[in-house]
Amino acid sequence: MIWFYLERIFGYWPVLLKGMGMTIGLSLLSLVIGVVIGFGFGIIRAGGNRWLSRVLGLYIDFFRATPFLVQVFIAYFILPVLGIELSAFAAGVVALSNMAACFIGEIVAAGLKAVPTGQREAAIASGMTRAQQMHLVVMPQAVRIITPSLVGQFVLLIKDSSVVSAIGLLDLTRSGWLIVQSVPNGLLVFGIVGIGYFLICYPLIHLSRRLERRSQTAFL
Amino acid sequence: MLGGLNTRVMMEYLPEIWQGFLATLFLSTASFVGAMALGVLACALTIQPLRWLRAPAVVYVDVIRATPLLAQLYFLYFGLPRLGVVLPEMLIGIIVLSLNSGAYMAEIIRSGILSIPRGQVEAGMSTGLGYMQRMRLIVLPQALRTTVSPLIGQAIVLVKDSSLLSLISVVELTRAGQRIAIDRFMPVEGLVATALGYLVLYYLLKSAAGAWQARNSIPGRG
Amino acid sequence: MTNLNTLASAAIIASLAAVATPAVAGTLDDILARGELRVAVQTQGPPFSFMDKSGQRSGSAIELTTLMAEEMGVKVVYLDFDWDGLLPALMSGKADMLAADMTPTLARATKVAFTKPFMYVGAVAFVKQGGDIASVEDCKKPGTTVAVLLGSTGEKLAPVVFPEAEIKSYKGGGTLLLDAVASGQANCGLNDSSAVKAQAAAYPEGTFTIFEEMLSKEPLAYAVRYDSMDLLAWSNLFIDTVSLDGRLDTNLDYWVNSDSWKADH
Repeated sequence: MIWFYLERIFGYWPVLLKGMGMTIGLSLLSLVIGVVIGFGFGIIRAGGNRWLSRVLGLYIDFFRATPFLVQVFIAYFILPVLGIELSAFAAGVVALSNMAACFIGEIVAAGLKAVPTGQREAAIASGMTRAQQMHLVVMPQAVRIITPSLVGQFVLLIKDSSVVSAIGLLDLTRSGWLIVQSVPNGLLVFGIVGIGYFLICYPLIHLSRRLERRSQTAFL
Repeated sequence: MLGGLNTRVMMEYLPEIWQGFLATLFLSTASFVGAMALGVLACALTIQPLRWLRAPAVVYVDVIRATPLLAQLYFLYFGLPRLGVVLPEMLIGIIVLSLNSGAYMAEIIRSGILSIPRGQVEAGMSTGLGYMQRMRLIVLPQALRTTVSPLIGQAIVLVKDSSLLSLISVVELTRAGQRIAIDRFMPVEGLVATALGYLVLYYLLKSAAGAWQARNSIPGRG
Repeated sequence: MTNLNTLASAAIIASLAAVATPAVAGTLDDILARGELRVAVQTQGPPFSFMDKSGQRSGSAIELTTLMAEEMGVKVVYLDFDWDGLLPALMSGKADMLAADMTPTLARATKVAFTKPFMYVGAVAFVKQGGDIASVEDCKKPGTTVAVLLGSTGEKLAPVVFPEAEIKSYKGGGTLLLDAVASGQANCGLNDSSAVKAQAAAYPEGTFTIFEEMLSKEPLAYAVRYDSMDLLAWSNLFIDTVSLDGRLDTNLDYWVNSDSWKADH
């Protein structure tokens, strides 16, 4: 009986593959963009300009307070009203990278603050400019502190990417939703979807734990 | 354009928005309770020595943390009827949210317990306290104090996660906002109403966390 | 003084010339210029629009709009949405046209322009076979749950026809309603006859009892925005043309009035 369903589900394997590819591609792209913008956010938040830091803080707070589903709808349905027309994929990338940037920004800001001030003072004493201090002394140490959290963030990104299925983007979750309507066996279909995500995420979680133990920082 | 926000229509739908807000509050609270129960149980199983009791708890936590909530939700929603189990959507939602958050809470509680310095436990052992007594009098009270903040953080996550229940036809805050979008063709007004509702809940929880922090932090230990 | 008059006259003539030239290009011109017709369709709404086994988009609306694009001399791009996402997609400009089994209601027509109807359907109720409910009258009993599609005419109709029942709105497509009734999440379902009959075919024979009584009479039409009057006129002419030469009937007979499409998709 189960074989009957499994056979039918595997008839849809192009759809599943497309979904898996979209999930990985979307998450990777959003991670890259999110890290770049997130580092920018973090530097601003940990920096000297209090006013800028506070304004950015409000922006980041909005995206940490609202559900990601709502953020995805905003990117897809409200941005057009402001004149920015986005495809489902573009809206997904925008929403996902933006959220990643907000969370990574706070992680980076915490990491920058965690670098002992003595380091920065020594850098100033050696005659380095602000840019050199950041580039040669502070940032490398901050990065070492936050790398495990960044890997953890990537896992969260992959899981959050499932929400963009709500605007019709064909990711792994959406492909399961489509298939289950023609092959009405939710346990098997979403069991397979779950295995797909597990295969991607579990190694990353393991990696994050190993990095954490090596740098001996608290679990964030 | 944003100055042209149709607040008249938003006010017209205030009853629906309010109902949705209350529903979200109910769902989040019920799931929080369920998640705490599961989290404490799973954590207790993971730190005790018997391997055959530990393994299922570890598997539970790892599987939940490596799969998305939406996939878990669809798994139970489309899957349970196949087993002959037919439950109202709201109940399925609460079960899934509890199972999901429970795994994360287990990790939070576990780090709380592990953060107690060994010296405390050893002092307990040297004064002749048994395992249960050490747990009850020394470890748990201190662990509880450090975990309250992250637990409130998880409560905030729960409120946001509950929005996914709108996808399985549960009428909560996100679905209430969609009504404005669908009945009146005003997606902007609908999303603004929804976002405002969640912001209110967020700031309520955040101030609760702040109040707790102010009253209970130990200087030097956080 | 004379120079100023000349200048003024020149300015007036220039502005008249500007007004006299065609103002904004219509949507049809845009489509022809870009070489692409963008159509919003339902993700999972057999037999009008659905994804078949090989991951290809298929269905009655797909076939007709492909034909439209051919006749226009452009290629066609499909954007798929849940039912409640179709109208926002058209209104926000993501798509030029909406092609689904949508009823031109007066409320919807305040926002988008509908073509003339290409077919007529009615809403029907359906239940799981072998259950307690034997007729539409039974569905009206208090405490019955009725499944409807979020944003559909069925959703508006249900409280009128079943005032005592509990209405559950599902987001997505009509297939979810059948799933809900089959699994027991809802006692009855309410949707268009064409959608219900086609979608019930995915289940084993005899899963559902579809009550024949039509609870409403509804035309089905495609839609465009009110700023696309040229596209609207063209689409109406298209419907007239394919009705007269029989291609519309062939399409409907294959996809809607029979099960023949099931074998190939």
